[in-house]
Amino acid sequence: MTLNGQRIRGGVTAGLLASPMVCVLICFYAFDIWTFFMSLTPSRLLPTYEFVGLSQYHRLFNSPRWWEALWNLGLYSLSLISGCIMLGYALAILIDRGARKRAKYAPIFMLPLALSFVVTGIVWLWLLNPRLGIQHAVRELGWSTFVFDWLVRSDRAIFTVAIAGIWQQTGLCMALFLAGLRKIDPNVWRTIRLDAIPTWTCYARIVTPVLRPTFFTAFVLLFAMAIRTFDLVATLTGGGPGFSSDLPARFIMDLVARQELGMGAAGACVLLCIVVAVVAPYVYIEFRRQRQT
Amino acid sequence: MQRQKARFKDVSLLACLIGLLGYLSGCGRNGSTVSADAAAADAPVVEVMHWLTSKPDAAALAQVRERVIAQGGIWQDSPIGGGETGRAAAVSRIIGGQPPDVFQFSIGSQLAELAAQHLVVPVPLESPEASSAFPEIVRRASQFGGHAIAIPLDIRGENWMFYNVAVLQAVQLAVPHTWPELIEAARQLKAAGKIPIALGGQSWQERVLFNDVLLGIGGRDFYRRVYETLDPNAFSSQVMLDVFRTFAALRPFVDEASPGRRFSEATRMLVHGEAAFQFMGDWAKNQVLEAGLELGRQVGCVLAPASEAAYVVMVDAFAFARTSRPHAREGQELFARVALDPDVQVHLARNIGAIPARSDVSVEGFDICSAHAMEVMRDPNAQLMDPALNLPNGLSGAIDDAISRFWNDPQLSASQGADLLRQAVRTYR
Repeated sequence: MTLNGQRIRGGVTAGLLASPMVCVLICFYAFDIWTFFMSLTPSRLLPTYEFVGLSQYHRLFNSPRWWEALWNLGLYSLSLISGCIMLGYALAILIDRGARKRAKYAPIFMLPLALSFVVTGIVWLWLLNPRLGIQHAVRELGWSTFVFDWLVRSDRAIFTVAIAGIWQQTGLCMALFLAGLRKIDPNVWRTIRLDAIPTWTCYARIVTPVLRPTFFTAFVLLFAMAIRTFDLVATLTGGGPGFSSDLPARFIMDLVARQELGMGAAGACVLLCIVVAVVAPYVYIEFRRQRQT
Repeated sequence: MQRQKARFKDVSLLACLIGLLGYLSGCGRNGSTVSADAAAADAPVVEVMHWLTSKPDAAALAQVRERVIAQGGIWQDSPIGGGETGRAAAVSRIIGGQPPDVFQFSIGSQLAELAAQHLVVPVPLESPEASSAFPEIVRRASQFGGHAIAIPLDIRGENWMFYNVAVLQAVQLAVPHTWPELIEAARQLKAAGKIPIALGGQSWQERVLFNDVLLGIGGRDFYRRVYETLDPNAFSSQVMLDVFRTFAALRPFVDEASPGRRFSEATRMLVHGEAAFQFMGDWAKNQVLEAGLELGRQVGCVLAPASEAAYVVMVDAFAFARTSRPHAREGQELFARVALDPDVQVHLARNIGAIPARSDVSVEGFDICSAHAMEVMRDPNAQLMDPALNLPNGLSGAIDDAISRFWNDPQLSASQGADLLRQAVRTYR
């Protein structure tokens, strides 16, 4: 009886424990599936359930704005991820080496993280505006030919979005790396000092490989963030000049706003496929490696 | 001890905050229960969703509200910030089965789609007298399936050219009446160190400028062939090439910081005399007035250069959702009666800075821009639709994209620009 009672109670507990997972399944994946169905319908303003095959994908891939947005996404995520990881790692090393003395600086770099993307976008909009911001300030100081007009240049605008993103996300990377560095066995450092190995060699050959999982985490977090970047680009450049800094998420929102629900859903599905295509092999390799070691 | 004291302070502060929040939310709840109680009595009740939230707009709507209340109705206010958000909120509430009884909307294909799905009902009070009071173009646009599906509140004009009088005088320029004159004036202004055209580089603002050129170079009939009948011959005509050539010729007269600028910032540049012209809809007027300037004195308003007078219109309107709430139908009828009242329409339009939707009212009391617009609107041939009024949003969006792409890429030739536009129309199915 008691055994039975225990089993029943165990069943209830298991059910309770599983319920968040069920919620997650319904709340997250149900919408994904619905979006996929929408992408196969001719829906415009209101959802309809008529099947038209892949014609929305066809329309999407015929749109020059979509390809431009994808190309921009490539440039943006590459510069964002590399910028954040390099800067964040460098800051983390500096703070870690200063140890207690400089630990109080860490929160300063974390502060931008507390801002919303919209605020970040507006702050950088002012800073980068050639008539108000950095360019104007430097010219006022006397360097009258100074030019920093990336925000309004078609070939550079996408990098201003990356700069704002790096400014905001570096703190996160720094925190990740700092946590990783703190976990490194102090004996490593003692050995190095005894053997008189140059510090940078130690960082390049020993510390960086050890921090591999941290790099992995930072990459996945930043990549996911890059793909869904919408508010930052919407406030900072509005996708402009023209569509030179347009990103897929913004284009999809535009499509939905102009009653192209089906085509927008198709775009969302393609984005999801990109995330899976990039992250899945990485996750697979990382997990296999971790299991082997 | 000290630390404890400090903590106590924190706690009491927190308690105060929570108390305040509770009080505030209690206020909100009280407000709604009062109206709900009253709704239980047999008064007509109407929930109105709108984006008339700026100070002059709110003052305009207040008159409608007061009249509804004076006639025994119960008004439930649901303000939303901004037109785009407002439309999206209305649509999502309608789809979600909790429709607002009356909601502000722009007349156009989106509303027609809602009506096609029977989510929007015809205007509760349809009298032939009321609908004949509206200009032909407004009547045509607000109909679906033989019924009026919205009450037009006011008409917004899109093809205005605002100019800073002092800036033009400083260079001794007359107000240009054709596009070649404007380009010549812009050249002199630029030489004098002024920004000739204040433009915000957002695709809708670029489209407003493009449509002004389209109308000015092509004329009224050409404009109709492009945006109303989507005539393929018009898109590949010589006139279209001229339009794109003129449009491209304006690029050098916009300052480098234009991309992404909001229209209100561009108006600010005009008001402060940094720029000479702005091509914008009549919604820029309020900012001129707020700066303490007088229309026609410091800031002039004329229709954008064109050989034939024409007014490109958008219509602010209220539509009625299908609802099963008790007494909501009476509320909708009451609202319709009030909103169609000529006095209300005049008052509203004057506050908002637009012209009334009814054409049977006197121009007295309107500013010179509106008075002029009301004169122009008397001629049915001069009434032109903004593309959003009759084209599906997806198509007008694709047209915006084409215009914006052309404007922002100086490498593109006029014929490539016309190609982009043709392509946008063709690929929309």
